[in-house]
Amino acid sequence: MNALEVKNLCKSFGIVKAVDDVSFGVPEGSIFGLIGRNGAGKTTTIRMMMNIYLPDAGEVFLRGEKVTAAFKDKVGYLPEERGLYKKMKVLDTLLYFAELKGKSGKSVERKAVEYLEKFELADRKLSKIEDLSKGNQQKVQFIATILHDPEFIILDEPFSGLDPINTNLLKEIILDLKRQGRVIIFSTHLMDFAERLCDHITMIDQGKVLLSGSLKELKSKYGQKHVSLNFSGDISFLKNHPIIENIEDFGSTLGIKVKDPSQTQQLLKLLVDHNVLVNKFDANEISLHEIFIHVTGKESENVF
Amino acid sequence: MFSKKTLIVIKRELRDKLFSKTFILMTVLIPVFLFGVLGIQTFLMSFESDSGSQLAIISENIDLTEKLQSAFNEAPIVKSGSYKVTFETQTKARFDAYLDESKKSILDGKLTGIVFIPQKAEQDKKVEYYSKNPNNNTLFNKTRNIINQALIDLYFTGRNLSAEDITFARESVDFSSYRVSSDEKIEEEGFGNQVLAFLFTFLLYFSLIFLGTMMMRAVVEEKNNRIVELLLSSISSKELMTGKILGNGITGLIQMAIWLLPVIVLISSSIFVLPAEFILKINLVHIVYFLFNFFIGLITFLGLFATVGAIFDNDQDAQSGVWPIMILIMIPFFISIAMLSNSENPIATVASMVPFASIIVMPARMTIIEVPLWQFALAVVVNVGTLLLIFPAAGKIYRVGILMTGKKPKWSEIIKWLKYKY
Repeated sequence: MNALEVKNLCKSFGIVKAVDDVSFGVPEGSIFGLIGRNGAGKTTTIRMMMNIYLPDAGEVFLRGEKVTAAFKDKVGYLPEERGLYKKMKVLDTLLYFAELKGKSGKSVERKAVEYLEKFELADRKLSKIEDLSKGNQQKVQFIATILHDPEFIILDEPFSGLDPINTNLLKEIILDLKRQGRVIIFSTHLMDFAERLCDHITMIDQGKVLLSGSLKELKSKYGQKHVSLNFSGDISFLKNHPIIENIEDFGSTLGIKVKDPSQTQQLLKLLVDHNVLVNKFDANEISLHEIFIHVTGKESENVF
Repeated sequence: MFSKKTLIVIKRELRDKLFSKTFILMTVLIPVFLFGVLGIQTFLMSFESDSGSQLAIISENIDLTEKLQSAFNEAPIVKSGSYKVTFETQTKARFDAYLDESKKSILDGKLTGIVFIPQKAEQDKKVEYYSKNPNNNTLFNKTRNIINQALIDLYFTGRNLSAEDITFARESVDFSSYRVSSDEKIEEEGFGNQVLAFLFTFLLYFSLIFLGTMMMRAVVEEKNNRIVELLLSSISSKELMTGKILGNGITGLIQMAIWLLPVIVLISSSIFVLPAEFILKINLVHIVYFLFNFFIGLITFLGLFATVGAIFDNDQDAQSGVWPIMILIMIPFFISIAMLSNSENPIATVASMVPFASIIVMPARMTIIEVPLWQFALAVVVNVGTLLLIFPAAGKIYRVGILMTGKKPKWSEIIKWLKYKY
């Protein structure tokens, strides 16, 4: 069952169609990734889901019912561009944002202090935000996103601008929330993060949905007849070889598509016979990055 | 539009503003500044450049010279030592030579000027003044009456008039002003209400610009560091805008009430007695109207300033884009100041009932003349109506603008925003 259903969302700014007939479903208890390049329409879609923008057309359903303003209280939102009131104190900031989500009182304050302790900020609760380091400001922002115990967590490009420590911290938070059965939606242009974290994805480009579904299904669908190869040596003999359909260069790896699934073993033998040093050979496996490039047909070029 | 979440925003704004250093400082400094301005003005007046003036008075008639001498010696300007006057009797022919001799000391500044009273002046009262700075009104005003007295004395000497007659003739006309109003008896009018009208105008002008600019900055800041997106994930832009405006409006109202406290005390109790010429001829109803009018005006202008803040994403652009709103405050301010010297100014009468201008002009007008009740009513309707009319448009521009970043928008684009579905 889908917790959230996005149906035929459209949004234009002047003559620019930012989001063009976007539909997808977010299953209960999943980590859902909205994937696409910068400017693909991810943030606009998310803003419409949050009722920050009114869509030109289309609707968003929460468990079968049209979302209302009350939906905002159930969501923890971490925008891509993050900011807090510089002159406000850490604890005041957290309590203010929780209060805006309808949560106030002693129990929230206790919880805020707990989180601050967990994130090693307990001694800074009376500091002003501007006196905190950028990394610590980001931690405060994470706490503000989840303090009101939201059912849904929407993270827009959550890893942009994070240092490695906070990146790991945020990953832990996300996985922890998933264990608690929360629905997590995040948008990113970083395919490997999405690949490691998401159960379901929707890929959009230029405002349109390219593909949508569970990551496992998509991978097995696009991974068929596909080999990811890491090698050193000369592979020019593969050019126009009868078993090869096409070859794409993804930078670190080479994507080779054979004409029939059974031909992957034949390909490996060919490589070994031609003295190519094979470092990695992944048959019927494809990375999200490769799927993306395959589907958009961009950034790819033939090796030969 | 108004909800529990609006209240939360109002609460934060109040806590943020009421206890801020800027607010406390301004609340204290403005009265100090106002009294300072009045004080400095008085000080400057008392310290006019004419003190230490060295004046030579030459007449062609020895009798007149004597009379001048005695009149000047009794005058306060000589008694206080701020003027030093020498007297001589010389004929016109001799005077020309004297003038030549004195040229050097006039140019050196040793001698401020020479007053020559020709024989003819005893009939037509035309005197001559020679100086480096011949249009010295301060000096003319201070010596005119004294010279006149001497001339009058001389004219009537030997004409069998009593001292009483001469004293009468010497007096010049003195105006006392009386205010005619419908509900009270005709009363003598002092400077009190003039000062109050100036005070009202100044406080309104200052408060609207100061609080408005603060509001604009706060909106630019929220937009610039993207807090607004976080806020909008919790509340609607209308709730946010309403909360911010009301929060800042209440802050302004409290500040204004503090500033008016001395006035309220003065008119509602008899503990402090002002000198008759400073008596304030207004009552508490006027103060209530003033505060109500201020609050409506403040809400209106805070809305406009917030809208400008939402259009731009940095302070510099916002400062240069805010001029249309500044004009809406400055023109009424000048009309109001001009009205202080002529309360029947028709422009002021109209302005006191025109959108935006009414907010600044009407309070000053009501303190210096009696405004008919229907004009008050019209002003209230106009002001509340303006507020209700501009708010939907301002809210829309705010909602679109607050999430727009990057290129500075053109005015034509902003008009288009009004048509966006948001």
